[in-house]
Amino acid sequence: MKTRLVKLLSIGILLLWALQTNAQQRFTLSGYVKDQQNGESLIGISVSKAGTGLGTVTNEYGFYSLTLPAGEHDIQFSYVGYTPIKMHISLKGNQNLDIKLDKSSSQLNTVTVIGDKKEKAVNTLNTSINRLDIAQIKKMPTFMGEVDVLRSIQTLPGVQTVGEGASGFNVRGGAADENLILLDEAPVYNSTHMLGFFSVFNPDAVKSVNLIKGGFPAEYGGRTSSVLDIRMKDGNNQNMAVNGGISNVFSRLSIEAPIVKDQSSFIVAARRSYIDILMKPFLSGDMKDTKLNFYDITAKANFKLNKTNTLFVSGYLGRDVFGFGTDVNMNWGNKTATVRWNHVFNNRLFLNLTTFYSNYDYSLKFNNGSTKNESDNYQAYNWTSNIINYGVKPGFTYYVNTKNSVHFGVQGIYYTFKPGKGVSQDGENTNIKNLTLQHGLEAAAYIDHEWKPSKKFGVQYGLRLSQYDFLGNSTAYFYNDTTPGIRKTLTGSKTYGSNEVIKAYHYLEPRINIRYGINDNNAVKASYSRTTQYMHQLSNTASPTPLDIWTPSTNNVEPQVADQYTLGYAYDATNGKYEISAEVFYKNMAHQLDYIDNANLQLNQYIEADLLPSKSRSYGLEVMAKKEIGTTTGWISYTLSKSERKTDGINQNEWFLNRYDRTHNVNVVVTHEINKRTSFSANWVYATGTPTTYADSRLEYQGWDIPYNSTDKRNTYRMPAFHRLDVSLTLKGKQLRRWKGEWVFSLYNVYARRNAYSIYFQQNEDDKNKREAIRLSIIGSVIPGITYNFKF
Amino acid sequence: MKKKFFRLSILAAFITGFSACTDVIDLDVPEGTSYPVLDAWITNEPGTQYIRFTKSVSYTSTGATPIISDATITLYDETTGDVYPFVFADSVYKCDPANGQIGQLNHTYRLRVEYASNIYEATDTIKPVATIDKIDYKYKEKGDDGVSKEGYYVRFYATDMAGQTDYTWIRSYRNNMEKANILEDNYVIDGGFSEGLSDGQEFPQFVGESVNDDEHPYLKGDLAIVKLRSLSYPSYFWVTSVQTQMQSGGLFATVLANVGTNLKNVTDGGSKSKILGWFGTSAVSSATITTN
Repeated sequence: MKTRLVKLLSIGILLLWALQTNAQQRFTLSGYVKDQQNGESLIGISVSKAGTGLGTVTNEYGFYSLTLPAGEHDIQFSYVGYTPIKMHISLKGNQNLDIKLDKSSSQLNTVTVIGDKKEKAVNTLNTSINRLDIAQIKKMPTFMGEVDVLRSIQTLPGVQTVGEGASGFNVRGGAADENLILLDEAPVYNSTHMLGFFSVFNPDAVKSVNLIKGGFPAEYGGRTSSVLDIRMKDGNNQNMAVNGGISNVFSRLSIEAPIVKDQSSFIVAARRSYIDILMKPFLSGDMKDTKLNFYDITAKANFKLNKTNTLFVSGYLGRDVFGFGTDVNMNWGNKTATVRWNHVFNNRLFLNLTTFYSNYDYSLKFNNGSTKNESDNYQAYNWTSNIINYGVKPGFTYYVNTKNSVHFGVQGIYYTFKPGKGVSQDGENTNIKNLTLQHGLEAAAYIDHEWKPSKKFGVQYGLRLSQYDFLGNSTAYFYNDTTPGIRKTLTGSKTYGSNEVIKAYHYLEPRINIRYGINDNNAVKASYSRTTQYMHQLSNTASPTPLDIWTPSTNNVEPQVADQYTLGYAYDATNGKYEISAEVFYKNMAHQLDYIDNANLQLNQYIEADLLPSKSRSYGLEVMAKKEIGTTTGWISYTLSKSERKTDGINQNEWFLNRYDRTHNVNVVVTHEINKRTSFSANWVYATGTPTTYADSRLEYQGWDIPYNSTDKRNTYRMPAFHRLDVSLTLKGKQLRRWKGEWVFSLYNVYARRNAYSIYFQQNEDDKNKREAIRLSIIGSVIPGITYNFKF
Repeated sequence: MKKKFFRLSILAAFITGFSACTDVIDLDVPEGTSYPVLDAWITNEPGTQYIRFTKSVSYTSTGATPIISDATITLYDETTGDVYPFVFADSVYKCDPANGQIGQLNHTYRLRVEYASNIYEATDTIKPVATIDKIDYKYKEKGDDGVSKEGYYVRFYATDMAGQTDYTWIRSYRNNMEKANILEDNYVIDGGFSEGLSDGQEFPQFVGESVNDDEHPYLKGDLAIVKLRSLSYPSYFWVTSVQTQMQSGGLFATVLANVGTNLKNVTDGGSKSKILGWFGTSAVSSATITTN
């Protein structure tokens, strides 16, 4: 492993050297691009030499580096929503140039961007990337008045969910646990509050959202289906700013301010829901003690130590609390912390060193404290589980010249899984069941070369070497192979000492993206990537729940591996008003997990005996048309796809549709600025109903009518199609010099459709001799929302 | 327990005003293949034991279930060698032991079904069951202890037997044991959630109170009947599979998956014909109380 790593790195360094010797009499222009008003670093800004194809975009930290021949150049900095800047530069040596861009006052008078738009799909190398700015997200209709990052990405092609209230989303036919959700580079294990209704990301603290569905750059790994890279705001380093909102569900408040102007700043943002408090008057007796709330705090600070060093510290803490009085209490939440150091070695070599910590835990408690009789024993039951990881990842970018740049680095994550601990108390008598902790170390080295020999052609190719060790101190179990679909029997176990390797896996993951520009407006692209995943969320319900545990790859559970092929086409209208992109993909996924019928996934030391290896494949077409400029903006996305799996022991070992398969999926997102103070937006979604299994017969047994499917086939039916319209109206108040307020009125599910979350079969509650098919709609009517947002 | 969790999630939906709702809908599902279904549960309760043998029908069909009357069903006590023939009369197969009871603690039983030129067999063992020490009730107003309906809430008391892992099926009825009067089915391991967690402890209060239908609590003058049935592990696995299929609503619903059967086709020369259902055996501990 180590020697391979060294080899890989030395090849990379040789390559760099070879590339560099070509570059003579050239100098480098580099620096940071920031927002004029608040000092936020700007991501994805086009930096180009006017009238030529030469250029680059700023990275995730707002840094750019552009190497050009010595001499006179007109350099243009541009991005949608910002007034472009053109600078005349006499390049006589390496030069540092920090730029501040002004926000255009409104989309109405956005100057048509001239010259190259490096950030547009037609010009980027990668396939399958969708980037959303928080400004774009904030324009979309909301659910109960709350701007939501996860809901916004569900309007993008290739992203599906099983329905309202689903705790996860599915990308290109992958399962919900195959999305790497990063908040300032720390993984987040449960991205939703309140069982899936709100996302954990506070919109006031989010800067940008990047969703990668395929053609993964080599720096990303660890999940097979997608990367959702969420970057937090740095905090205003010019003036103190307060943002807030009050809605019928919760309140938000964020404060950002410079610590030292232009040098350092912070942001602290918090939210708290108060549904339970509002409900109190409507509840009687002990129900008044019902708790149902969540809160989260997001904070970040950055320190520009000097011209070449910047330090970022960020963290997130969120919690959902759910209970009746003092007797029943469930709570869960994520904690993350990230420390990043940006270092510019010279104008062309950029380092970002990230270290992170992430923890997801839940607990479930019952006791009879308030309901017990005096003579009764105090009885309590307490169940906890968590997953903790620590990671470090130094990543380098070497901007060799305008045609070449190289990304390389190493990464390591140490995982500890606590599958579950149960404590049962009966008076003085306490029993504890503590499942063995599991440990894993995931290490990777990668190198990725971006080569754009001409305006027409570009390629990004890379390799990721990933290594995973399932480690002691833990116990490995060994099982007999039996008929698939039946619980396996234990044949033995072995205990391993601290850090002893129980099982190791390694994979080579090639990645490539190719772009060919037909002309300025049209480009075709292709990509291939292999991704691996060493952890698995165990969930046999329709969508994951907060109480689903994660389990590492072990001697019994192989890592997941996915191979994805993508072909794409991108069009950008000459005037920059429209963009159209289309992609087809094919994805093969190996070693996914399925479950034996009635698998016991909780507090089960021998859980692996209930798991079945499974494989999936998915393919589809995605089309997106987007308009970013003018009084009416928005996008239409359409996905035609199929996702199916094959598991020995299920469905007579034949292929069957995944629970999240939707053949057609259409999203229309439109925002119209009626005047400077009023805007209207609408969102309509249509999706084919998800596959399901219906009972075609019943078995009478001991007073039960057991639903049964006599074909023994899974997911051969489909639920009715899902569709929904949401609208919202934003009214900006008088924009006083300091205080700026706006009202947002929203209607979710305007025509009150009862979309089916599930259809199930049961005996009538009142007449057990009557049997019914029941449709469960999580949202059954129109949901209004009112929010007042303010900033000063 | 699952139910409790299910209710929490629905409550979440209600409280947030999401207006989660359920509707009875008409589904056009083609009629499936009809299979024979054996409903055989032998206990150590004294008197006649019954076995039903029917045919599966369309899930929502309202007509009477077709009954199979021409099978030969025999129960063998593998421990003593006793043979109990079951005879068809009045739509069920019956066996009335001359004296006392058929089921004996710790005995293994084999059931043999001869039907349509095929022979099917299954075995199960009667495990010991915890004794119900006491049963009582409490009148609760709406809101007391978090209940949503006022009425009489029954609770039973039992203590898990220390040592082995005990699987128990708790069933409650209102007034009589007709199908329409079955209230709740719950399953516990050592009186609690999980193997090895609550061995030898008293059944927790929420288990003792799990016999109530919270939507329809007992009314004044109702007779509450509670039965604990011991289960072998395979029978536990099967009845909890059934439970999963019967309660597949809610946000955390599992997907529909067919329940298996322990009835194996043992016909000489092999045959692929199958019958569904289960042969289970139990020791039973019961208690009743009238609310007034």
